Formats: sequence, structure tokens, C-alpha cells
Amino acid sequence: MAVFRRGYQRYDGPLTGPGTRFMAIPRFAWSKILSQRFVVILLVLSLFWPLLCAGFIYVSNHADLLPNIGGMDASMAKLLEINGKFFAVFMNVQSTFAILLAAIAGPGLVAPDLANNALPLYFARPMSRWTYIGARMMVLFGILSLVTLVPGLFVFGMQASLASTSWLQANWWLGQGLVLGFVLYIAMVSLVALTCSAYVKWRVVAGALVLAFFFVLAGAAQMINQILRVEWGSLLNPGFAIYTVWCALLGVEPVEDAPGAWDCFAVILVMLGGLLAVLLRKLRPVEVVS
Amino acid sequence: MNQIWIIAKLELRRAFFSKRALWVYLLALFPAVIFVGHGISVKMQRDEFAGKPTVSAALLDRMAVGTADADVLAAAGKPLQDRSWDQRGRNIKRRTLMYFDGSRRVWFEFENGALRNTRRRELSSIDEDRKVYAGMFQYFYLRLAVFFGSLGIFINLFRGEMIDKSLHFWFLSPVRREVLLLGKYCAGLIASAVIFGGGAVLSFGALLAYQTSADLQAYWQADALYHGTWYVISAMLGCVGYGSVFLAAGLLLRNPIIPALVMLLWESINGFLPELLQKLSVLHYLQSICPVPPPMDPNVPPLLRLVLAPTEPTSAGVAILGVLGLTALVLYVASRAVRRLEINYGTE
Repeated sequence: MAVFRRGYQRYDGPLTGPGTRFMAIPRFAWSKILSQRFVVILLVLSLFWPLLCAGFIYVSNHADLLPNIGGMDASMAKLLEINGKFFAVFMNVQSTFAILLAAIAGPGLVAPDLANNALPLYFARPMSRWTYIGARMMVLFGILSLVTLVPGLFVFGMQASLASTSWLQANWWLGQGLVLGFVLYIAMVSLVALTCSAYVKWRVVAGALVLAFFFVLAGAAQMINQILRVEWGSLLNPGFAIYTVWCALLGVEPVEDAPGAWDCFAVILVMLGGLLAVLLRKLRPVEVVS
Repeated sequence: MNQIWIIAKLELRRAFFSKRALWVYLLALFPAVIFVGHGISVKMQRDEFAGKPTVSAALLDRMAVGTADADVLAAAGKPLQDRSWDQRGRNIKRRTLMYFDGSRRVWFEFENGALRNTRRRELSSIDEDRKVYAGMFQYFYLRLAVFFGSLGIFINLFRGEMIDKSLHFWFLSPVRREVLLLGKYCAGLIASAVIFGGGAVLSFGALLAYQTSADLQAYWQADALYHGTWYVISAMLGCVGYGSVFLAAGLLLRNPIIPALVMLLWESINGFLPELLQKLSVLHYLQSICPVPPPMDPNVPPLLRLVLAPTEPTSAGVAILGVLGLTALVLYVASRAVRRLEINYGTE
């Protein structure tokens, strides 16, 4: 006869919906990330370029008010034109802030859970590995949207409202390209941040690794191109690859002799696949200690 | 001194053989690997073009923009390579013809049958390779590899132990905190200097390995040893400067990535800053002692090239003293900080 006996039975109370469970992690993580001073500083700094672009859009749509510009100088009118190139440059600048934000905010998402063996606590609840990854990515998606999608749509919306309806009818696909381009970019940056965080388990080192991923790969790609006198080295540069895809989405002339948009897109998919594989390998709900 | 060396020896094992050191080795050896690959490719090309028909260089240089492809074919004969394709959506027929003049390959690029552009490339040129090496060394090796390598090694020394919750063991031992700091710094410095100095030697050796014997002999008798030595000194000095900054950042701040990020951005925009501010960076002094000035970074957009104003390099002696002075200052600040440091293992 047992001196101590304890029985368990399955919880049969009300369950929260899958959506609520999914959003539980982002809800807490967002407030924690936004309480970091450096994140707030970065968010504020990232608003300057969109504001400058908004000013440029205003000037471009009121060129007739400026002396010596309205309808006279064709080269000046071309300079003030709001087209795919304008949005490609806008996206390129904002993407730098996204990398910096991911390097600051991303490493704290998975590394502490792994370092403190907290994963079983998550997976003991009705939450799969995919849900966990999705929820963590949702955290970064929300934060990075603040410097990419939100200002991008604001700038596009401003141009659409100031320009004639015919501009919107002719250029609606620029908005579509902007959204698709930024979503792909956020997915890539988020996955890099989460994978680095899971790979090294240390927040500090993970932050350095996120920066190194983008900066060192860009340098290495340039080095390969210069030493081997080739162009395909640029494919290793995630920044270049995503910019080429953006150019294709925005109808901008690509860089001559460089790899094409489909090649770059394929490389991005391979990168995402590799990062996801590493992340899944590191995020194991059960670890057998031999 | 004895205590410093004992601490350094203990730390050296970790710096050289830990799993994380693998990434530092990769960063340091990557240029050497690429140069070796290029050397193999150059040797294969030399063998491939050894028996190919050649066209006189003077004839190839005479072809002016706008010449018809038929005229080029009539004058220069059958090309070694002939590629034609239509550019999608733009109704343009493109064609590329390649000739060889004994030392250079020449590509004629046609648009709708008219010569639009001519590209020339030597099979191998030591002058060009030296410029490429200078660019690689200053844009990739110093700015990225040594920077991130030092970040990985030196931040680990104190912040890593705090995260591992093992720093208190060091603090319990009968050693002055300043001695501990110096011991750890020496270990990081020896490891990074050996790894990145070695990487510079290997990549410079790989650059020389595939040159023709005449080129190699001429370069060796002229500047090779001088250039190689200064590249190695520059890499090691980078470890000295960046190492001290990252060691101090690891001690003073909970998240040393923020100063690293600020420093990376500062070093990246260095060329665009006024002369006085350019001198407030480690990179300026490291570039000053590099023997060959780097070519313009091809990634810089034309508009930014206009505002790019690289300042005059500082003399080698001043540059070395500058980095050493900065290191001494930073280590002094770090030694003051480590004396006051109280262990408080927070949630990392």
C-alpha cells in the first residue's frame, strides 16, 4: 500500500481559443520590448526618413507652387517623380532600421527560454513548436512593421491622396510591391534574429550574430565578387538579394550584370529554409541528457 | 606578471578551442580560402588559354563604340566565345564576342548589332590583385572580420562569465582585480592576434602563390615583405584597439551590443565625416598603416561618393601610438570599473 498517493485527471474546464493562445506570447513580449529605451530611440529615429519622404511627396505634388519648376524643367520634374525607384530607396533606408531593431529586440525572444530550460513550460501547454515559432515571429513582425510596413503604407497613402486618381489606378501595384517586399523582408529578418537567438542561447552574442549575419555576408559577397571577378557573389548578400526582389516588385531597372530577381528570390527561400531548419533543430521540447 | 600569465594561460585554452571560436577562425580564414580558390581558377584558365588562337592587342583596341558585329568578325576572325540573346520585353538583341590577345580576354558587347561596350580582363595581373587585396583587407578584414572577431572573443571574457555565472570564482581567488583584467585581456589579445595575424599571413601568401614567377620575383624584391608585414601589424593592432573597447563594454554595460552597434555605424560612416571626427575612430589609424590605399568601395552610390572625403592618413608611428594610447585609456577605465564591480547575476 502506497504511503503517498496522488492522482491526476485531465483539465476539463473552458479552453481559450487558438488565436488567444497564439497572441499570449506577443502580448507580453511587445510590452517588454517597447519598455527598452534603445528600442524607443530607434523607433523615433526611424521616423525621420518617412517624414522626409512625406515632405518630398508634398513638394512633388505641389511643384507648380514652386517658382521655376512647375512644368518647365523636364529633368527637375523627373527628379520629383514618385515612382518605383522612390519606393525602392525608401524601403532600402527603412530596412537598415529593421536590422538594428531585430538585433536589439530579437535575441531576447528565444535565448532566455533555452538558457533557462523554459521550453517544456511552453510545450506542456496546448502549443506546438510551429505555434511557438509563429508567435515569436509575430512579436518581431509587429515591432518591425512599425519601421517598415506602417511608414511605407503611410507614404504610399499620402502620395495616393495627394496625386490624382489616375496615379493610383496606374500605380496601385507599387503599394502591392511595397507590402509584399516588406513582408518578405520582415520574414527574413525575423527568422535570422530567432535563429541566432536559438543558436547561441546568449542574448548578447545573438545580437552580435544578427548584425554579423547581414554585415559580414554583405562584405563577404563583395569580397568574392572582387577577388574572383564574378557577379554571382552578390547572391550571398541578403541585403542585395532582397533589394533585387524589391526592384522587380516595384518595376525598377535591376543592377546590370548582377544576378536576376528570380535567382535572388530562390536564394532568399534557400536561406529561409536553412534558418528554419536550424531553428527547428534547436527548439526541441524534450532534451535527453545522457 | 606571473599571475597575469597564469590567468592568460587558463583563458587562452577557452579562447582558442571553444566551440564559438570556430566562427572566429572562419572569419579569419575566409579571405585566404577565396584567394586559394582564385589561384586555382587562374591556373586552370592559364592552362585553358595556353593553346587558344590569339588576336593582336592593337587590333582589338582599335574597335570603337558603334562598330558593327560583322565588321568586328571580319577584322578579328572567329571569336573564342559567341553568345546571342534577346532581352525580354525590350526588343533588344544582345551579342557578346570574346577574343584573347595572349594576356587579356576582351569582350565586345553589342546591342542590336552595334558595339556598345568593351570589357578587358587580364588572366592575372599582380597590380590588380594587390589593389583587390588592399580593398579586401580594409573593407572586409579590418572593418568586419577583425571587428566581429574581437567582439566575439573579448565580450566573452567578462560578460560571458557573468552569463555563465562563473565570474565569482575568479573574484574569490587571491588576485587583484586589475591583474585579472590584464590577464584576461592578454589572453584575448594573444588569441585574436594569432588568429587574425595568421589569417592575414595566409591570405597574403595565397595572393602570392598563383602569380607568375617573374611577377612574384619582382614584387618580392620590391615591396612584398614590407606590405605583408604592415598588413599583419595592422590586423594585430585592430585586435589591440577593438579588443580593449569590447572588453570594457562587456564590463561596463549589461548589453554591450549597443556600443558595438554604435561603433560599427561610426566606423561605417567614417569616410563621410569631417577630418577631425574621422580621426576619432580606430579604423582611421588602422587604414593609415596599410601599405596600399584601398580602391573606392564599388557599393557606394554616386551621390554619396560626392560627399565622401577620406582624410590624409596619419603617419605610422602616430597611428600605432594613437591606438596604443586609446587602449591604455580604455583599459584604465575598465580597471577602475572592475575594481568596483559587484556580482549580480541578473536574468540574461
